[in-house]
Amino acid sequence: MMRCVECKGKGMCGLPRCPIMSRFHAQVAMKPSSTYQGSSPSVFIGSYGYPDIRGGPLLINDSDNPPDWIRNNLGMDEIVNLRARTIRGNAGLHAVGGSLQEIALSAKPIDVDVYFERPVAFSLNFDGTVAPVGFTGAVKKMDLLGSATVGRAVDRITSDTDIGATDAAIALSSDGVDVYQITKLMTAGLLGKRRKFVPTRWAITAVDDTLSTGLKKEIARFPPVEEIRVFSGEIYGNRIACILVPGDWKYEMIEIWGKQTLWGGEDEVIVQDREGMTKSGYSPISGAYYSARLAVCEYLQSIRRCARVIVIRSVSSEYWAPLGTWVIREATRKAMASPPAHGVSLDAAVHHAVALIGSDRWVPHSTLIPELRTQRTLDHFW
Amino acid sequence: MLKATIDADIFKEAIDAISALIPECRLHTDDDGISTRAVDTANVAMIGLSLKKEAFDSYKASKSQLGIDISKMKNIFGMAGKGDLISLEMADNAQKMSVSVHGYNYSITLLDTNTIRKDPNPPTINLPGKIVIKGEDLNNALKAAAVISDKIALGINPKDQTFYLVAEGDTDHIRRDFSKDELVSLTPAEARSLFSLDYLKDMGKVMSKAAEVEIFLGIDHPVRFSFDIAGGNGHVEYLLAPRIEAD
Repeated sequence: MMRCVECKGKGMCGLPRCPIMSRFHAQVAMKPSSTYQGSSPSVFIGSYGYPDIRGGPLLINDSDNPPDWIRNNLGMDEIVNLRARTIRGNAGLHAVGGSLQEIALSAKPIDVDVYFERPVAFSLNFDGTVAPVGFTGAVKKMDLLGSATVGRAVDRITSDTDIGATDAAIALSSDGVDVYQITKLMTAGLLGKRRKFVPTRWAITAVDDTLSTGLKKEIARFPPVEEIRVFSGEIYGNRIACILVPGDWKYEMIEIWGKQTLWGGEDEVIVQDREGMTKSGYSPISGAYYSARLAVCEYLQSIRRCARVIVIRSVSSEYWAPLGTWVIREATRKAMASPPAHGVSLDAAVHHAVALIGSDRWVPHSTLIPELRTQRTLDHFW
Repeated sequence: MLKATIDADIFKEAIDAISALIPECRLHTDDDGISTRAVDTANVAMIGLSLKKEAFDSYKASKSQLGIDISKMKNIFGMAGKGDLISLEMADNAQKMSVSVHGYNYSITLLDTNTIRKDPNPPTINLPGKIVIKGEDLNNALKAAAVISDKIALGINPKDQTFYLVAEGDTDHIRRDFSKDELVSLTPAEARSLFSLDYLKDMGKVMSKAAEVEIFLGIDHPVRFSFDIAGGNGHVEYLLAPRIEAD
């Protein structure tokens, strides 16, 4: 049976509502209104009823960009609060699709006028992949007041219908467009040859996977890192330890949900997954696996080196609500940007990671560490 | 200088043998043919490959080194059909090589050979056990083991005169014994080493096409596979470092 940590609220247990998700009830002092005048920084496409999906604008006079939240040192409650005030418009894509694409294309939020069928309803929705949203409302009419500010690279690549979505995402990224903007373009169906709106939660992981698979191929050609390095970083109770070992590309991730944490429940739960140059199937760690992999690939590409990578994510009860996989992406980026411990042996590196994580129960779950320990190299023999 | 034409299938076979381990390599050319020797990024596996000039339909070359992007070559030769000829042409000290296949003329930029790792020394390891086996049999045994585990022990039982493969998974176990009459030949000597199937799977695919593969084994020592390609006009050697069984 699938465990809660693997499903993360997708409803795989068959219960009408996820018992963990329904723990969250927040109240906001905002009067539900049936109109909205203000800016729309982003769009949201639901996966419910796919392929007959619905979507709409995200409406808030504030940033929708997770790196901004971290730069401004927002606490978890401030982020939840901010998101609770956000309205997600909902409509058939034939009606609002064009406007949504304008919003997604724009580097800055666009001002909009939205009329809802009835006052917006409060239902704070959490989801393992996507950042939470508070209000939803069925859109009756939507007008764009401003026009999109479109970056040059975005303009060029979204106008090109002969470039596949994979190449388009990689080209945007190498032109310096950040993953959050690429995800917006992907979900609004602005990339690729046969364009379609993509449920936002799928687009997030699709972009993480596409970009890091592209980087992986580039990294494979670089020489290996010179020595073992151990990185660490933490955001909102998500502690990341990352060990880089000289060698060809291999990636292993181990996720530890402590006792009484979000998905952990009564007992600690540990999930492991790994890959070589190719990855088959969807990771049981879900979106977090791909988000962390992207952050590590970005680092390796920046130093033009290749490595065997072990990422350990330990989640404490401080992480009281799922904010989306951006937390793991940013936590890993933060880890990779911090000065590493280096020049240590593999055993010392594992020991160091155990100290950083504060537990050694994840070590037996690793299949890459025993492989690294037992595999001899050829220079050993002459 | 290089000017040669070769049957597409033969050249593909050689490229596939290299690409099982490394994405790029340094190719040496001289009067007698082409050759390469390289280790993978992790320093765990080595390939030595040579293709004699007899493997080519026509061949003329001076002594030189070419940096070849193997992955790119592999994609290019995907175009070639059965019986197609590939022609390779390069002037002295040129940065580009002309490749013609199936009516398509490519000009391929070569890699700077300074950016490719130095050629490793040829191996000088004494491996006492020797088995000669059909390539297909070997590949099938490796494929079967890969279902159960990520590592496999290869060994010789000198008493029973058998060659055995054993893989131990978390919950499952597989063993295949080849008796002397299932093998082409066997030189008995106590031997057993453990290897990563990650590497062996890719090598096995290449070796499955060889009529005979020579395997050299020792105790906790690398394994050496040696086999012919291109109808005997080419030769490949793989060397793979062992894993040391945990105590």
